[in-house]
Amino acid sequence: MIHVKNLRKEFTVHRKPPGIIASMKALFIRDTITKVAVQEVSFHVAEGEILGLIGANGAGKTTIVKMLSGIIHPTSGSVDVMGYNPWQRQKNFCRQIALIMGQKAQLWWDLPAADCFLLLREIYQVDPKKHQEMLEFLLSILDVRDEINIQIRRLSLGERMKMELIAALLHKPKVVYLDEPTIGLDLAAQRAIRNFILGYRDSVKPAMILTSHYMEDIERLCKRVVILLNGKFVFDGALQDVVQQFSAHKIISVKLHKPVDLTRLNPEIELIEDHGDELKFRVMAEDVAHVSQHLLAKIPGANLAVGEMNTADVIEELFQEKA
Amino acid sequence: MTLLFFKIVNLELRKQMSYRVDFWVNTVVSFFAAMGVMYFLWDAIFTASETEIIGGYSQKEMILYYVLVILIAKLVRGSNQMTGIAGDIYTGELTKYHLFPTPYLTFKYAEHLGSLLPALIQLVLFGALSPFIFAFPDSLNITPLSIITCANVVLLANLLFFTLTLPLQLVAFWADNVWSLVVMNHFISGLLGGAMLPLELFPDWARTVLNFTPFAYLYHFPVRILTGHIQAEQIWIGVGVMICWIIILSAGSWFIWRKGNKLYTGVGI
Repeated sequence: MIHVKNLRKEFTVHRKPPGIIASMKALFIRDTITKVAVQEVSFHVAEGEILGLIGANGAGKTTIVKMLSGIIHPTSGSVDVMGYNPWQRQKNFCRQIALIMGQKAQLWWDLPAADCFLLLREIYQVDPKKHQEMLEFLLSILDVRDEINIQIRRLSLGERMKMELIAALLHKPKVVYLDEPTIGLDLAAQRAIRNFILGYRDSVKPAMILTSHYMEDIERLCKRVVILLNGKFVFDGALQDVVQQFSAHKIISVKLHKPVDLTRLNPEIELIEDHGDELKFRVMAEDVAHVSQHLLAKIPGANLAVGEMNTADVIEELFQEKA
Repeated sequence: MTLLFFKIVNLELRKQMSYRVDFWVNTVVSFFAAMGVMYFLWDAIFTASETEIIGGYSQKEMILYYVLVILIAKLVRGSNQMTGIAGDIYTGELTKYHLFPTPYLTFKYAEHLGSLLPALIQLVLFGALSPFIFAFPDSLNITPLSIITCANVVLLANLLFFTLTLPLQLVAFWADNVWSLVVMNHFISGLLGGAMLPLELFPDWARTVLNFTPFAYLYHFPVRILTGHIQAEQIWIGVGVMICWIIILSAGSWFIWRKGNKLYTGVGI
Protein backbone atom coordinates (compact mmCIF):
# COMPACT_ATOMS: atom_id res chain seq x y z
CA MET A 1 0.00 0.00 0.00
CA ILE A 2 2.93 2.33 0.65
CA HIS A 3 5.93 2.33 -1.68
CA VAL A 4 8.84 4.68 -1.02
CA LYS A 5 11.79 4.88 -3.40
CA ASN A 6 14.95 6.94 -2.99
CA LEU A 7 13.19 9.56 -0.91
CA ARG A 8 15.30 12.59 -0.08
CA LYS A 9 14.56 15.80 1.75
CA GLU A 10 16.82 18.82 2.17
CA PHE A 11 16.01 21.87 4.29
CA THR A 12 17.62 25.26 4.04
CA VAL A 13 17.98 26.66 7.53
CA HIS A 14 19.35 29.95 8.87
CA ARG A 15 22.32 29.72 11.15
CA LYS A 16 22.74 32.46 13.73
CA PRO A 17 25.52 32.44 16.30
CA PRO A 18 24.60 33.68 19.80
CA GLY A 19 25.01 37.28 20.92
CA ILE A 20 23.70 40.73 20.12
CA ILE A 21 26.29 41.46 17.40
CA ALA A 22 25.39 38.28 15.55
CA SER A 23 21.69 39.20 15.88
CA MET A 24 22.35 42.67 14.40
CA LYS A 25 24.45 41.17 11.61
CA ALA A 26 21.65 38.73 10.83
CA LEU A 27 19.35 41.68 10.09
CA PHE A 28 21.46 42.34 6.99
CA ILE A 29 23.26 39.13 6.10
CA ARG A 30 22.08 35.64 6.92
CA ASP A 31 24.10 32.48 6.85
CA THR A 32 22.16 29.55 5.50
CA ILE A 33 23.05 25.92 5.45
CA THR A 34 21.46 23.04 3.64
CA LYS A 35 20.58 20.24 5.99
CA VAL A 36 19.88 16.80 4.57
CA ALA A 37 17.11 15.35 6.73
CA VAL A 38 16.43 12.18 4.72
CA GLN A 39 18.82 10.53 2.27
CA GLU A 40 17.61 8.12 -0.39
CA VAL A 41 15.33 6.04 1.81
CA SER A 42 13.35 3.18 0.27
CA PHE A 43 10.85 0.77 1.83
CA HIS A 44 7.32 -0.51 1.47
CA VAL A 45 4.44 -1.28 3.83
CA ALA A 46 1.75 -3.85 3.13
CA GLU A 47 -1.93 -3.86 4.06
CA GLY A 48 -2.44 -4.85 7.71
CA GLU A 49 1.25 -4.33 8.53
CA ILE A 50 2.66 -2.04 11.22
CA LEU A 51 6.13 -0.86 10.26
CA GLY A 52 8.31 0.61 13.00
CA LEU A 53 10.40 3.57 11.93
CA ILE A 54 13.17 3.99 14.47
CA GLY A 55 16.05 6.36 14.89
CA ALA A 56 17.51 8.84 17.33
CA ASN A 57 16.27 12.46 17.49
CA GLY A 58 16.88 14.15 14.14
CA ALA A 59 17.19 10.86 12.27
CA GLY A 60 14.45 11.91 9.84
CA LYS A 61 11.53 9.75 11.02
CA THR A 62 9.00 12.56 11.33
CA THR A 63 10.18 14.14 8.09
CA ILE A 64 9.42 10.87 6.29
CA VAL A 65 5.97 10.71 7.89
CA LYS A 66 5.30 14.31 6.86
CA MET A 67 6.22 13.52 3.25
CA LEU A 68 4.11 10.35 3.19
CA SER A 69 1.08 12.25 4.47
CA GLY A 70 1.51 15.07 1.94
CA ILE A 71 2.35 17.81 4.43
CA ILE A 72 5.73 18.62 2.92
CA HIS A 73 7.26 18.13 -0.52
CA PRO A 74 10.31 15.89 -0.94
CA THR A 75 13.44 17.16 -2.65
CA SER A 76 13.62 14.01 -4.78
CA GLY A 77 12.44 10.41 -4.91
CA SER A 78 9.00 8.94 -5.31
CA VAL A 79 6.19 7.88 -3.02
CA ASP A 80 3.09 5.92 -3.87
CA VAL A 81 0.43 5.61 -1.19
CA MET A 82 -2.60 3.58 -2.36
CA GLY A 83 -1.81 4.75 -5.90
CA TYR A 84 -1.72 8.44 -4.94
CA ASN A 85 1.08 10.94 -4.91
CA PRO A 86 0.67 12.34 -1.35
CA TRP A 87 1.73 15.94 -1.97
CA GLN A 88 -0.93 16.39 -4.63
CA ARG A 89 -3.32 16.08 -1.66
CA GLN A 90 -6.24 14.76 -3.67
CA LYS A 91 -9.50 14.55 -1.75
CA ASN A 92 -9.76 10.77 -2.04
CA PHE A 93 -6.23 10.39 -0.70
CA CYS A 94 -6.90 12.67 2.30
CA ARG A 95 -10.11 10.77 3.08
CA GLN A 96 -8.16 7.51 3.45
CA ILE A 97 -5.23 8.56 5.62
CA ALA A 98 -4.70 9.66 9.21
CA LEU A 99 -1.74 11.12 11.03
CA ILE A 100 -1.62 10.96 14.81
CA MET A 101 0.97 13.20 16.37
CA GLY A 102 1.75 12.64 20.02
CA GLN A 103 3.46 15.99 20.30
CA LYS A 104 0.86 18.15 18.63
CA ALA A 105 -2.85 18.57 19.30
CA GLN A 106 -4.95 18.36 16.17
CA LEU A 107 -8.36 18.85 17.72
CA TRP A 108 -9.80 22.28 18.35
CA TRP A 109 -8.48 23.35 21.74
CA ASP A 110 -11.51 25.39 22.79
CA LEU A 111 -14.21 22.89 21.88
CA PRO A 112 -15.43 19.68 23.50
CA ALA A 113 -14.43 16.49 21.69
CA ALA A 114 -18.07 15.84 20.75
CA ASP A 115 -18.17 19.05 18.66
CA CYS A 116 -14.84 18.21 17.05
CA PHE A 117 -16.08 14.74 16.07
CA LEU A 118 -19.21 16.18 14.47
CA LEU A 119 -17.15 18.57 12.40
CA LEU A 120 -14.81 15.76 11.36
CA ARG A 121 -17.86 13.78 10.24
CA GLU A 122 -18.66 16.59 7.80
CA ILE A 123 -15.04 17.08 6.75
CA TYR A 124 -14.63 13.41 5.86
CA GLN A 125 -18.23 13.07 4.58
CA VAL A 126 -18.93 10.04 6.76
CA ASP A 127 -22.46 8.62 6.83
CA PRO A 128 -24.01 9.76 10.18
CA LYS A 129 -25.08 6.22 11.13
CA LYS A 130 -21.66 4.70 10.41
CA HIS A 131 -20.01 7.61 12.18
CA GLN A 132 -22.08 7.04 15.29
CA GLU A 133 -21.37 3.31 15.30
CA MET A 134 -17.64 3.87 14.94
CA LEU A 135 -17.68 6.59 17.60
CA GLU A 136 -19.48 4.33 20.08
CA PHE A 137 -17.00 1.55 19.36
CA LEU A 138 -13.94 3.76 19.84
CA LEU A 139 -15.32 5.48 22.96
CA SER A 140 -16.01 2.18 24.66
CA ILE A 141 -12.63 0.67 23.77
CA LEU A 142 -10.70 3.71 24.99
CA ASP A 143 -13.05 4.32 27.93
CA VAL A 144 -13.45 8.10 27.50
CA ARG A 145 -17.22 8.34 27.11
CA ASP A 146 -17.56 10.58 30.17
CA GLU A 147 -15.03 13.10 28.85
CA ILE A 148 -16.60 13.66 25.45
CA ASN A 149 -18.34 16.90 26.46
CA ILE A 150 -15.32 18.49 28.13
CA GLN A 151 -13.21 21.13 26.36
CA ILE A 152 -10.12 19.51 24.83
CA ARG A 153 -7.75 21.86 26.65
CA ARG A 154 -9.16 20.76 30.01
CA LEU A 155 -8.47 17.04 29.43
CA SER A 156 -5.43 15.24 30.83
CA LEU A 157 -2.68 14.32 28.38
CA GLY A 158 -3.80 10.69 28.32
CA GLU A 159 -7.45 11.58 27.74
CA ARG A 160 -6.51 14.08 25.04
CA MET A 161 -4.36 11.51 23.27
CA LYS A 162 -7.25 9.05 23.30
CA MET A 163 -9.52 11.72 21.80
CA GLU A 164 -6.88 12.41 19.15
CA LEU A 165 -6.85 8.70 18.28
CA ILE A 166 -10.62 8.61 18.00
CA ALA A 167 -10.66 11.75 15.85
CA ALA A 168 -8.02 10.32 13.53
CA LEU A 169 -9.70 6.95 13.09
CA LEU A 170 -13.39 7.91 12.88
CA HIS A 171 -13.28 7.85 9.08
CA LYS A 172 -11.65 4.38 9.10
CA PRO A 173 -8.44 5.34 7.28
CA LYS A 174 -6.65 2.70 5.25
CA VAL A 175 -3.26 4.24 5.96
CA VAL A 176 -2.34 5.41 9.46
CA TYR A 177 0.82 7.24 10.49
CA LEU A 178 1.50 7.21 14.22
CA ASP A 179 4.16 9.69 15.25
CA GLU A 180 5.13 8.96 18.87
CA PRO A 181 1.55 8.23 19.96
CA THR A 182 2.46 7.31 23.54
CA ILE A 183 4.90 10.11 24.31
CA GLY A 184 4.50 11.51 27.81
CA LEU A 185 1.79 9.02 28.82
CA ASP A 186 1.81 6.91 31.97
CA LEU A 187 2.30 3.15 31.68
CA ALA A 188 -1.40 2.29 31.89
CA ALA A 189 -2.29 4.78 29.15
CA GLN A 190 0.59 3.54 26.99
CA ARG A 191 -0.64 -0.02 27.36
CA ALA A 192 -4.24 0.98 26.56
CA ILE A 193 -3.16 2.79 23.41
CA ARG A 194 -0.95 -0.09 22.26
CA ASN A 195 -3.80 -2.57 22.72
CA PHE A 196 -6.12 -0.22 20.89
CA ILE A 197 -3.75 0.12 17.93
CA LEU A 198 -3.44 -3.68 17.68
CA GLY A 199 -7.21 -4.05 17.86
CA TYR A 200 -7.69 -1.44 15.14
CA ARG A 201 -5.07 -3.16 12.96
CA ASP A 202 -6.85 -6.50 13.34
CA SER A 203 -10.30 -5.14 12.54
CA VAL A 204 -9.59 -2.61 9.73
CA LYS A 205 -6.28 -3.97 8.32
CA PRO A 206 -4.70 -0.63 7.46
CA ALA A 207 -1.06 -0.09 6.54
CA MET A 208 0.51 1.62 9.55
CA ILE A 209 3.81 3.35 10.18
CA LEU A 210 4.83 3.91 13.79
CA THR A 211 7.62 6.12 15.05
CA SER A 212 8.46 5.96 18.73
CA HIS A 213 11.33 6.37 21.14
CA TYR A 214 9.77 3.78 23.43
CA MET A 215 11.13 0.38 22.48
CA GLU A 216 8.18 -1.26 24.15
CA ASP A 217 5.90 0.37 21.56
CA ILE A 218 8.05 -1.05 18.78
CA GLU A 219 8.43 -4.50 20.36
CA ARG A 220 4.70 -4.84 21.09
CA LEU A 221 3.38 -3.45 17.81
CA CYS A 222 5.90 -4.02 15.02
CA LYS A 223 7.20 -7.20 13.50
CA ARG A 224 9.26 -5.26 10.98
CA VAL A 225 11.38 -2.16 11.47
CA VAL A 226 13.29 0.35 9.40
CA ILE A 227 16.24 1.94 11.18
CA LEU A 228 17.47 5.39 10.25
CA LEU A 229 20.71 7.02 11.32
CA ASN A 230 21.18 10.72 10.54
CA GLY A 231 18.65 10.47 7.73
CA LYS A 232 20.26 7.41 6.19
CA PHE A 233 18.61 4.06 5.83
CA VAL A 234 20.60 1.34 7.66
CA PHE A 235 18.24 -1.59 8.19
CA ASP A 236 14.92 -2.96 6.96
CA GLY A 237 13.82 -6.29 8.33
CA ALA A 238 12.37 -8.31 11.18
CA LEU A 239 12.85 -6.85 14.64
CA GLN A 240 14.59 -9.98 15.94
CA ASP A 241 17.17 -9.75 13.12
CA VAL A 242 18.39 -6.39 14.44
CA VAL A 243 20.34 -8.14 17.22
CA GLN A 244 22.07 -10.57 14.85
CA GLN A 245 22.99 -7.85 12.39
CA PHE A 246 24.18 -5.12 14.71
CA SER A 247 25.23 -6.60 18.02
CA ALA A 248 28.91 -7.38 18.33
CA HIS A 249 28.32 -8.26 21.96
CA LYS A 250 26.98 -11.20 23.96
CA ILE A 251 25.70 -11.28 27.51
CA ILE A 252 27.21 -13.73 30.01
CA SER A 253 24.97 -14.34 33.04
CA VAL A 254 26.59 -15.82 36.13
CA LYS A 255 24.39 -17.34 38.88
CA LEU A 256 26.18 -17.24 42.25
CA HIS A 257 25.82 -19.69 45.14
CA LYS A 258 27.69 -17.41 47.54
CA PRO A 259 28.92 -13.77 47.45
CA VAL A 260 32.01 -13.11 45.38
CA ASP A 261 34.80 -10.55 45.64
CA LEU A 262 34.52 -8.65 42.35
CA THR A 263 38.03 -7.19 42.67
CA ARG A 264 39.36 -10.65 41.79
CA LEU A 265 37.89 -10.34 38.32
CA ASN A 266 39.66 -8.80 35.33
CA PRO A 267 38.56 -5.11 35.44
CA GLU A 268 38.40 -5.00 31.65
CA ILE A 269 35.35 -7.26 31.66
CA GLU A 270 32.28 -4.99 31.60
CA LEU A 271 29.86 -5.74 34.41
CA ILE A 272 26.48 -4.34 33.39
CA GLU A 273 24.17 -5.72 36.11
CA ASP A 274 24.77 -6.88 39.70
CA HIS A 275 21.70 -8.44 41.40
CA GLY A 276 23.66 -10.00 44.27
CA ASP A 277 22.94 -13.59 43.32
CA GLU A 278 23.37 -12.94 39.61
CA LEU A 279 25.92 -10.95 37.61
CA LYS A 280 25.67 -9.94 33.95
CA PHE A 281 28.68 -9.14 31.79
CA ARG A 282 28.75 -7.67 28.30
CA VAL A 283 31.55 -9.10 26.16
CA MET A 284 32.58 -9.02 22.54
CA ALA A 285 31.34 -12.14 20.72
CA GLU A 286 34.88 -13.32 19.91
CA ASP A 287 35.90 -13.00 23.60
CA VAL A 288 33.10 -15.18 24.99
CA ALA A 289 35.23 -18.34 25.33
CA HIS A 290 38.21 -16.92 27.20
CA VAL A 291 36.06 -14.61 29.39
CA SER A 292 33.95 -17.64 30.34
CA GLN A 293 37.11 -19.55 31.30
CA HIS A 294 38.30 -16.59 33.37
CA LEU A 295 34.97 -16.31 35.20
CA LEU A 296 34.81 -20.03 35.93
CA ALA A 297 38.35 -19.91 37.28
CA LYS A 298 37.71 -16.91 39.54
CA ILE A 299 34.21 -17.91 40.66
CA PRO A 300 34.29 -21.65 41.39
CA GLY A 301 30.94 -23.40 41.19
CA ALA A 302 29.31 -20.53 39.26
CA ASN A 303 26.56 -21.34 36.76
CA LEU A 304 27.22 -19.56 33.41
CA ALA A 305 24.85 -18.87 30.54
CA VAL A 306 25.61 -17.02 27.30
CA GLY A 307 22.81 -15.05 25.66
CA GLU A 308 22.00 -12.27 23.18
CA MET A 309 21.62 -8.63 24.10
CA ASN A 310 18.03 -7.40 24.05
CA THR A 311 16.84 -5.49 20.99
CA ALA A 312 16.40 -2.20 22.81
CA ASP A 313 19.99 -2.25 24.05
CA VAL A 314 21.33 -3.12 20.62
CA ILE A 315 19.46 -0.25 19.01
CA GLU A 316 20.57 2.16 21.73
CA GLU A 317 24.14 0.99 21.28
CA LEU A 318 23.83 1.47 17.55
CA PHE A 319 22.57 5.06 17.95
CA GLN A 320 25.36 5.89 20.40
CA GLU A 321 28.07 4.47 18.16
CA LYS A 322 26.88 6.42 15.15
CA ALA A 323 26.07 9.66 17.00
CA MET B 1 -19.44 21.16 0.84
CA THR B 2 -21.97 23.91 1.54
CA LEU B 3 -23.12 22.08 4.65
CA LEU B 4 -19.52 21.75 5.82
CA PHE B 5 -18.97 25.47 5.22
CA PHE B 6 -21.86 26.35 7.50
CA LYS B 7 -20.74 23.77 10.08
CA ILE B 8 -17.36 25.52 10.23
CA VAL B 9 -19.09 28.90 10.58
CA ASN B 10 -21.17 27.38 13.37
CA LEU B 11 -18.08 25.90 15.05
CA GLU B 12 -16.34 29.28 15.03
CA LEU B 13 -19.45 30.92 16.48
CA ARG B 14 -19.28 28.48 19.39
CA LYS B 15 -15.57 29.06 19.82
CA GLN B 16 -16.26 32.79 20.05
CA MET B 17 -18.68 32.13 22.89
CA SER B 18 -16.32 29.80 24.79
CA TYR B 19 -14.79 32.64 26.80
CA ARG B 20 -17.45 34.85 28.35
CA VAL B 21 -15.24 37.69 29.57
CA ASP B 22 -13.41 38.04 26.29
CA PHE B 23 -16.69 37.81 24.41
CA TRP B 24 -18.30 40.69 26.29
CA VAL B 25 -15.14 42.80 26.32
CA ASN B 26 -14.87 42.27 22.57
CA THR B 27 -18.56 43.02 22.07
CA VAL B 28 -19.27 45.88 24.45
CA VAL B 29 -16.13 47.50 25.83
CA SER B 30 -14.33 47.77 22.48
CA PHE B 31 -17.21 49.84 21.06
CA PHE B 32 -17.20 52.32 23.94
CA ALA B 33 -13.40 52.60 23.81
CA ALA B 34 -13.32 53.37 20.08
CA MET B 35 -16.41 55.60 20.12
CA GLY B 36 -15.24 57.49 23.23
CA VAL B 37 -11.98 58.48 21.53
CA MET B 38 -13.75 59.67 18.37
CA TYR B 39 -16.52 61.53 20.23
CA PHE B 40 -14.18 63.61 22.39
CA LEU B 41 -11.70 64.18 19.56
CA TRP B 42 -14.31 65.56 17.15
CA ASP B 43 -16.05 67.52 19.89
CA ALA B 44 -12.73 69.26 20.58
CA ILE B 45 -12.09 69.83 16.84
CA PHE B 46 -15.55 71.35 16.20
CA THR B 47 -15.28 73.55 19.32
CA ALA B 48 -11.75 74.75 18.49
CA SER B 49 -12.49 75.40 14.80
CA GLU B 50 -15.68 77.33 15.60
CA THR B 51 -17.27 75.97 12.42
CA GLU B 52 -20.42 73.94 12.09
CA ILE B 53 -19.44 71.97 9.02
CA ILE B 54 -16.16 70.12 8.39
CA GLY B 55 -15.73 68.28 5.10
CA GLY B 56 -19.50 68.46 4.56
CA TYR B 57 -20.28 66.90 7.96
CA SER B 58 -22.00 68.61 10.86
CA GLN B 59 -20.92 67.43 14.33
CA LYS B 60 -24.02 65.23 14.60
CA GLU B 61 -23.38 63.73 11.16
CA MET B 62 -19.76 63.12 12.11
CA ILE B 63 -20.82 61.25 15.27
CA LEU B 64 -23.31 59.17 13.23
CA TYR B 65 -20.55 58.38 10.72
CA TYR B 66 -18.24 57.09 13.45
CA VAL B 67 -20.95 55.02 15.15
CA LEU B 68 -21.69 53.34 11.83
CA VAL B 69 -18.10 52.96 10.69
CA ILE B 70 -17.04 51.36 13.99
CA LEU B 71 -19.91 48.87 13.83
CA ILE B 72 -19.44 48.11 10.13
CA ALA B 73 -15.63 47.94 10.28
CA LYS B 74 -15.87 45.13 12.77
CA LEU B 75 -18.19 43.23 10.44
CA VAL B 76 -15.74 43.75 7.61
CA ARG B 77 -12.61 42.77 9.54
CA GLY B 78 -13.91 39.96 11.74
CA SER B 79 -12.23 39.46 15.07
CA ASN B 80 -9.39 37.04 14.49
CA GLN B 81 -8.02 37.88 11.09
CA MET B 82 -4.90 39.72 12.17
CA THR B 83 -2.60 36.73 11.97
CA GLY B 84 -4.84 33.66 11.74
CA ILE B 85 -3.39 32.16 8.56
CA ALA B 86 0.14 33.47 9.15
CA GLY B 87 -0.07 32.00 12.65
CA ASP B 88 -1.04 28.60 11.25
CA ILE B 89 2.02 28.65 8.99
CA TYR B 90 4.34 29.91 11.73
CA THR B 91 3.24 27.45 14.40
CA GLY B 92 2.75 24.46 12.11
CA GLU B 93 -1.00 24.38 12.77
CA LEU B 94 -1.43 24.30 8.98
CA THR B 95 -0.37 20.64 9.14
CA LYS B 96 -3.74 19.73 10.62
CA TYR B 97 -5.62 21.38 7.76
CA HIS B 98 -3.36 19.83 5.13
CA LEU B 99 -4.60 16.43 6.24
CA PHE B 100 -8.25 17.32 5.68
CA PRO B 101 -9.95 16.69 2.32
CA THR B 102 -11.14 20.30 2.40
CA PRO B 103 -9.51 23.39 0.83
CA TYR B 104 -7.68 25.23 3.61
CA LEU B 105 -8.54 28.74 2.43
CA THR B 106 -12.25 27.92 2.23
CA PHE B 107 -12.01 26.55 5.76
CA LYS B 108 -10.37 29.74 6.98
CA TYR B 109 -12.92 31.98 5.27
CA ALA B 110 -15.71 30.05 6.95
CA GLU B 111 -13.92 30.57 10.28
CA HIS B 112 -13.56 34.24 9.42
CA LEU B 113 -17.33 34.51 8.89
CA GLY B 114 -17.97 32.66 12.15
CA SER B 115 -15.78 35.14 14.00
CA LEU B 116 -18.26 37.90 13.13
CA LEU B 117 -20.63 36.97 15.93
CA PRO B 118 -19.42 39.62 18.44
CA ALA B 119 -19.58 42.20 15.64
CA LEU B 120 -23.17 41.20 14.81
CA ILE B 121 -24.27 41.44 18.43
CA GLN B 122 -22.47 44.77 18.72
CA LEU B 123 -24.30 45.98 15.62
CA VAL B 124 -27.73 45.01 16.93
CA LEU B 125 -27.05 46.24 20.47
CA PHE B 126 -25.47 49.59 19.68
CA GLY B 127 -27.47 50.10 16.53
CA ALA B 128 -30.54 50.16 18.80
CA LEU B 129 -28.97 52.05 21.73
CA SER B 130 -26.86 54.66 19.95
CA PRO B 131 -29.76 57.03 19.06
CA PHE B 132 -30.43 57.30 22.79
CA ILE B 133 -26.76 57.77 23.74
CA PHE B 134 -25.52 60.12 21.02
CA ALA B 135 -27.07 63.12 19.30
CA PHE B 136 -27.77 62.10 15.69
CA PRO B 137 -28.95 64.40 12.84
CA ASP B 138 -32.67 65.17 12.96
CA SER B 139 -33.33 63.74 9.51
CA LEU B 140 -31.83 60.37 8.64
CA ASN B 141 -31.88 58.87 5.14
CA ILE B 142 -31.58 55.30 6.38
CA THR B 143 -34.27 53.30 4.58
CA PRO B 144 -35.04 49.55 4.30
CA LEU B 145 -33.54 49.63 0.79
CA SER B 146 -30.34 51.32 1.98
CA ILE B 147 -30.06 48.78 4.83
CA ILE B 148 -30.42 45.80 2.46
CA THR B 149 -27.98 47.30 -0.05
CA CYS B 150 -25.50 48.09 2.72
CA ALA B 151 -25.78 44.54 4.14
CA ASN B 152 -24.89 43.05 0.76
CA VAL B 153 -22.01 45.46 0.24
CA VAL B 154 -20.71 44.68 3.75
CA LEU B 155 -20.63 40.97 2.86
CA LEU B 156 -18.64 41.80 -0.25
CA ALA B 157 -16.37 44.15 1.74
CA ASN B 158 -15.79 41.33 4.22
CA LEU B 159 -14.59 39.07 1.40
CA LEU B 160 -12.54 41.95 -0.03
CA PHE B 161 -10.80 42.50 3.32
CA PHE B 162 -10.12 38.76 3.62
CA THR B 163 -8.55 38.64 0.15
CA LEU B 164 -6.61 41.85 0.85
CA THR B 165 -5.06 40.43 4.01
CA LEU B 166 -4.50 36.96 2.57
CA PRO B 167 -1.39 37.58 0.40
CA LEU B 168 0.27 39.40 3.29
CA GLN B 169 -0.41 36.52 5.66
CA LEU B 170 0.92 34.03 3.12
CA VAL B 171 4.26 35.84 3.16
CA ALA B 172 4.74 33.87 6.41
CA PHE B 173 5.88 30.95 4.22
CA TRP B 174 9.06 32.98 3.58
CA ALA B 175 9.27 35.45 6.45
CA ASP B 176 7.82 33.39 9.33
CA ASN B 177 6.61 36.42 11.28
CA VAL B 178 4.42 38.87 9.35
CA TRP B 179 2.83 40.62 12.31
CA SER B 180 4.15 44.06 11.30
CA LEU B 181 2.96 43.63 7.70
CA VAL B 182 -0.53 42.73 8.82
CA VAL B 183 -0.68 45.54 11.38
CA MET B 184 0.51 47.98 8.71
CA ASN B 185 -2.24 46.76 6.39
CA HIS B 186 -4.75 47.17 9.23
CA PHE B 187 -3.79 50.82 9.73
CA ILE B 188 -3.36 51.73 6.07
CA SER B 189 -6.68 50.15 5.12
CA GLY B 190 -8.28 51.88 8.12
CA LEU B 191 -6.90 55.26 7.11
CA LEU B 192 -7.50 55.00 3.36
CA GLY B 193 -10.78 53.13 3.80
CA GLY B 194 -12.47 55.77 5.92
CA ALA B 195 -12.39 54.01 9.29
CA MET B 196 -10.23 56.74 10.83
CA LEU B 197 -11.41 59.74 8.82
CA PRO B 198 -14.32 60.22 6.41
CA LEU B 199 -12.86 60.21 2.90
CA GLU B 200 -14.51 63.59 2.22
CA LEU B 201 -11.72 65.11 4.35
CA PHE B 202 -9.10 63.95 1.81
CA PRO B 203 -8.19 66.23 -1.16
CA ASP B 204 -10.16 65.63 -4.36
CA TRP B 205 -7.18 64.14 -6.24
CA ALA B 206 -6.58 61.66 -3.41
CA ARG B 207 -10.23 60.60 -3.43
CA THR B 208 -10.09 60.08 -7.18
CA VAL B 209 -7.08 57.81 -6.76
CA LEU B 210 -8.64 55.99 -3.79
CA ASN B 211 -11.70 55.14 -5.86
CA PHE B 212 -9.49 52.83 -7.93
CA THR B 213 -8.07 51.05 -4.87
CA PRO B 214 -9.83 48.40 -2.76
CA PHE B 215 -9.52 50.53 0.40
CA ALA B 216 -12.30 53.04 -0.34
CA TYR B 217 -14.85 50.23 -0.51
CA LEU B 218 -14.08 48.62 2.82
CA TYR B 219 -15.68 51.00 5.33
CA HIS B 220 -16.56 54.38 3.83
CA PHE B 221 -18.54 52.98 0.90
CA PRO B 222 -20.97 50.81 2.93
CA VAL B 223 -21.51 53.56 5.53
CA ARG B 224 -22.32 56.16 2.88
CA ILE B 225 -24.67 53.69 1.16
CA LEU B 226 -26.48 53.14 4.47
CA THR B 227 -26.89 56.86 5.06
CA GLY B 228 -28.24 57.31 1.52
CA HIS B 229 -25.37 59.41 0.17
CA ILE B 230 -24.46 57.21 -2.80
CA GLN B 231 -26.61 56.90 -5.90
CA ALA B 232 -27.54 53.57 -7.48
CA GLU B 233 -25.21 54.02 -10.47
CA GLN B 234 -22.23 54.73 -8.21
CA ILE B 235 -23.12 51.70 -6.11
CA TRP B 236 -22.95 49.42 -9.15
CA ILE B 237 -19.61 50.92 -10.20
CA GLY B 238 -18.29 50.46 -6.66
CA VAL B 239 -19.46 46.86 -6.52
CA GLY B 240 -17.78 46.24 -9.89
CA VAL B 241 -14.48 47.64 -8.59
CA MET B 242 -14.79 45.47 -5.47
CA ILE B 243 -15.37 42.31 -7.51
CA CYS B 244 -12.40 43.12 -9.75
CA TRP B 245 -10.14 43.52 -6.70
CA ILE B 246 -11.43 40.31 -5.13
CA ILE B 247 -10.59 38.41 -8.33
CA ILE B 248 -7.13 40.02 -8.65
CA LEU B 249 -6.24 39.47 -4.98
CA SER B 250 -7.60 35.89 -4.96
CA ALA B 251 -5.56 35.00 -8.05
CA GLY B 252 -2.44 36.53 -6.50
CA SER B 253 -3.06 34.69 -3.23
CA TRP B 254 -3.52 31.40 -5.05
CA PHE B 255 -0.20 31.86 -6.81
CA ILE B 256 1.59 32.71 -3.52
CA TRP B 257 -0.15 29.80 -1.75
CA ARG B 258 1.10 27.30 -4.33
CA LYS B 259 4.65 28.63 -4.24
CA GLY B 260 4.70 28.92 -0.45
CA ASN B 261 3.36 25.45 0.18
CA LYS B 262 6.47 23.95 -1.38
CA LEU B 263 8.51 25.64 1.33
CA TYR B 264 6.28 24.60 4.22
CA THR B 265 8.15 22.49 6.75
CA GLY B 266 5.39 21.75 9.27
CA VAL B 267 7.34 22.90 12.31
CA GLY B 268 6.25 21.78 15.74
CA ILE B 269 6.20 18.01 15.23
